Order: sequence, then C-alpha cells, then structure tokens
Amino acid sequence: MTFRRFLAKRTLIAVVLTLISVSVIFATLRLLPAGPFSGLVASGSLTPEQVEQVRAMYGLDEPMYVQYIKYIQNLFTLQFGISITQQRPVGEIIIPALVNTLVLLLPALVATAIVSSLAGMYAGWNRGSWFEQSSIVVTTVFRATPIFVTGILLLIVFSYGLDWLPAFGMRSPLANPQGYAETYLSVDFLKHYLLPFTATVLFYSGDFLMLARNSVVERKGSEFLMLHRAKGLSEMEQLGRAGRNSLLPLVTYFALRTGMLFQGVITLEVVFAWPGIGRALVQAILQQDYPTVQAAVFIMALAVIVMNLTADVAYAKLDPTVGAGDV
Amino acid sequence: MSGYNLDADTARDRLRSEFGRARRTLSVVLEDNAAKVGFAIIVAFGFLGLFGPYIAPYAPIEDTLRQGGSIMRLTSPSVKAPFGTTSFGKDVLSQFLAGARPTLIVGLFGGVGTGVVGFLVGLTSGYFGGRVDEFLMRLTDLTFALPLLPMALVILSFVTPSIWVITAVLVVFLWKMPARVIRSEVITVKERTFVKSARARGAGHTRTMFLHVAPNVLGIGFLYTAYAVGWSIVAGASLAFLGFGDPTTTSWGRMLQQVFRSGAIRTAWWWVLPPALGIGAVTTAVFLVGRAFEEIVNPDLQTEQE
Repeated sequence: MTFRRFLAKRTLIAVVLTLISVSVIFATLRLLPAGPFSGLVASGSLTPEQVEQVRAMYGLDEPMYVQYIKYIQNLFTLQFGISITQQRPVGEIIIPALVNTLVLLLPALVATAIVSSLAGMYAGWNRGSWFEQSSIVVTTVFRATPIFVTGILLLIVFSYGLDWLPAFGMRSPLANPQGYAETYLSVDFLKHYLLPFTATVLFYSGDFLMLARNSVVERKGSEFLMLHRAKGLSEMEQLGRAGRNSLLPLVTYFALRTGMLFQGVITLEVVFAWPGIGRALVQAILQQDYPTVQAAVFIMALAVIVMNLTADVAYAKLDPTVGAGDV
Repeated sequence: MSGYNLDADTARDRLRSEFGRARRTLSVVLEDNAAKVGFAIIVAFGFLGLFGPYIAPYAPIEDTLRQGGSIMRLTSPSVKAPFGTTSFGKDVLSQFLAGARPTLIVGLFGGVGTGVVGFLVGLTSGYFGGRVDEFLMRLTDLTFALPLLPMALVILSFVTPSIWVITAVLVVFLWKMPARVIRSEVITVKERTFVKSARARGAGHTRTMFLHVAPNVLGIGFLYTAYAVGWSIVAGASLAFLGFGDPTTTSWGRMLQQVFRSGAIRTAWWWVLPPALGIGAVTTAVFLVGRAFEEIVNPDLQTEQE
C-alpha cells in the first residue's frame, strides 16, 4: 500500500469513527431514561408559552432525525448551541476552558516526555543498576496511583500543611487579568501552576520511562550496536545511537497520550479547581447543561481520534518497514 | 506418528500443567522484591475486602460518635476513634475498614470482566482474521474514541449508580486494551506449526482456538487482567471522587469525595490519609506485581494506552 493510500484509508476511518462516536453520544444523551432536556421543562416555573419557546430554541419541537442532522451539522461547524444554565454560547464556555487545559497539560507532557525518556534510556543502558531499579519503582508508584490522589496529597502537604502554594484555581480571586499574556504570564499564575503541573509530570513519567528503557534494553544486544562498538564508539555515543532508534515508539506514544489528556485529567482539574474542560464537563453534568456536555465530550472524543490518526501516520512515515505492508 | 500426540492430552492434564506453570510463575515473580511487597499489600487488601466490615468497630454510615452530649465532629485521632472522626461525626477507621470492600468488588469484577471479554475478542479477532477481525478491530477503535470517564459520567448521571452498574460500565470501556494485545499475539501463534498440524488433522475451529492457541496467550491474558484490576480500581475511585459513585456504600473514593466536598480537607488530614494511601497502595501493588510478571511473559509489548 502506498503511503498516500494508507493516509487516505486512515483518514477515512477517522472521519467515520468521529461520525459514529458523535452519534453514540447523541443517542446516549437521548435514549437514557429521563431525557436530557426534561429538567428544563420540569422546573415548573415557566408558562406553557415559555416552555414552547425554550423547546423551539433547542430544536426539541422537531422530529428526532432533524435534531440529529442539525446536531451533526452544528458540531462540524463548531456551533455548539446555547448553554442552558449560563445563557451564552457553549463555545464561549468551552474554548477558554480548553485553552486552560492545554496550557496546563502540554508543557507538563513535553517536560515529562523529555526528562523521563532520557532517564529511561539511561536506566535501560545501565540495566540492573540501582538507578534502574529505583526509578522504575518510584515512577510505577506515581503511575499506578490515581492522579487525583497524588494531587490531594500534594495539596495537603504544600498548600494546607506548609502553606507555600495556593490550593484553588488558576489565578488568585482578586486578579482580573485581561488577555492571554496577562492571564498566563505572572508570578501569581506560576504559583497556582506548580502543584497541578507536578502532579501531571509525576503521573505520566512512568510510561515514557518504561518505554524508553524497554526499547534501549531490547536494542542493546542487537547487531548494529555491536557494529558501533566494533567501530570504537564510546558508551555515550552508543547510547545515542540506541536512543535514536527508540524514538519511534516514544513519538507515537506522545501523540496517543496527548489525545487522551483531556479525559485523563478531569479529576485533577476538580482537585485543583483548575478552570479547564474536564471541570467544565463535570459542572455541566451536575447542572444538567446538555449542550455543554455534548460539546465537551465531542472535543474529548475528537482529540483521541485525531491524535490516534497522527500517531498512525507518524509511525508509517518514520518507520518504512511499517508503511510498506502491515497496515 | 512419533510419540508426541496432542490428542492424548486430556483437559485434566492440561489444567494440571497450566496450574503447575502458574505456580512456578508465581514463585519467579515473588523473587522480585517490589512484587513481594505488592503481593503482601494485595493479600492484606483482600482480607480487608472480605472481613473489613466485620472488624470495623462502628457501622460506618449509621453510628455517630458522641462525647458527653455533643457529636464528635472532626476530632483528631483518639482512643475512642483511632483514626479520628468525619465532620458528620462518623468513625474514620470504620469507614476505612468497610470502604475496602466496594473498592475491591469494582476492581476485581471490573478487572476480570475486562480480561475475559478482551481475551475472547482478541482471540476471535486474531484467529479468524479477515472480516471478523476488521469488524472487531473497528469496534475497539470506536471504544477507544469514546472517552471512558466522560461517557461513564454521562451514563451515571442518568442511571442510579450501583457497584454493579459501575463495574459493567468499566468493562464496556476497558475490554479494548487486552483485546488488541491478545489479538497481535494470537496472530503470531496461529502461524506456528503445531496449530497448523492440529488443523490439518481435522481439529475444528473452536477446538484449535481454545486448546491450541489460547493456552499460548494465556499469560498475557492474565497480565492484562491484573492491569485491568488496577485500572478498574482507579476508574471506580475517580467516579466516586467526582460524586458519581454508589451512594449507598462507603468506598475509599467516596470518603475522599466527602472530605473534599466538606472543605475539611484543609485540616482533617486523618480523614484524608487512610483512603488516599489505601487507594494508592493497592493500585501500586497491582502494577508492581504486574510489572514483575511482565518481565517473564515479555510479550514484546504493544505500548499503547493507559
């Protein structure tokens, strides 16, 4: 299969998957007992005319298939509708939350990927060493422990116990920043940033460390390294060669992880009251604000699909033996 | 034909040899120090799950502790309440002891269910290949695309959460992980000579699949079941922490939710630490044992996801 055909096939699968998953979300929200919009009408404080108005506003007076088609159309033009509880476009709620999540997670993920991959390569190269053993146990502890538990422990030590860092939110309550620069570039923000950042780094460090370590271990005995050794390269140069060969799984893993980020940190955002998309989703569910719920879940699903596609393509592009046949 | 005859192998012999292999594997796993610690924690956790509610000094939800005439709210550890009390005047130790059970149930059944479903899907998909494979793998792609925690939150906001509903939801979203790995292993196993010879001598698909292919991927199946137990505990605790757990039981996740919601998290470290360390310890234990086991099985692991 040529790369172009492979790309086309994968993209098509991704599009179909997106369609099916938004349909599943649509169906889930409507088929479950107590439909999503029943709370809206059941409050009883609205006059019958107002109920009709609201139903029309959300398109509930139309047949199900029309609602479905409109829903799909709207999602793909990023028109998420009007929030029920906040009476403003869902996009205005979701997009800033999405940015906040990315600001928290992307730097954390990049930092983890670099530091713990290097540590993992070093560990794999020095197999059986004290460093290898302890780094694996320590990162396994943080990888296995739910991220919100790590977050809570950090909170009770560094916020409530030592009172070094704020426990709540992204900026102090009195800060009223305008624009992105003011929001994200300040000492106040940095203070709020440190704990959730640390929790995220600790949580994801184990995966990259093990991946890098395993692939160095696998390659250490391989013939091309024997060749390098025969050529007289130093230990560090050999490790460099082995490391370069280990990049492929790390790159693809990075893409997959990025896709899963949003859903993974819902509990983390709740613990630190970080105004991100995960916390927005939980609040929307609790307040039965279904347009917001739909939009948030859609973005989370889309992120996974797009990043999986990226990982597949990166894999095929970087590793010629994969692109050729086995896809 | 020479002495080696596969058909003489009765189910009983196979079970016996599998059992022997499992015992040998366990003894090798336990040579690893981290795995030893992990195993001890798992045994202790299992004990709490079974007997915790009976050794708890008070009923975790009903009994309100009093001192003199007033309710003991948020008191630090004392003789009467060794782990202190909650802001509702409940004994933290009792909640901790009883809270192991729902945590264990969700982990165990969610994990085993995930392992079994994933194993069967992976086996079928890898063994038959072609359209069956294509269909099942697109289905796993779909469950990968539907994010676990958000979907579970949406479903649990409509359906009254009970331990069993939560377990079922977890299995529905987690089987994909073992399925993919098992499939890729099955694909290599089914090309081996003994499988082909079994087919050539007229063994049916079911027989070949379960008697000749399955035993060779069983190790990885167990490994992923163990990991799935860990994932289920994490997911179950996360749901409970977000307020979507079974409201009728006290689980460790729910304890954390209550201390967090009540705001007592600022001061009541005695209420926070038992459930937090409990969850952390048991999930870590599962992964440490799994990791040691993985070194043995070494399935040239597919590295994706969770």
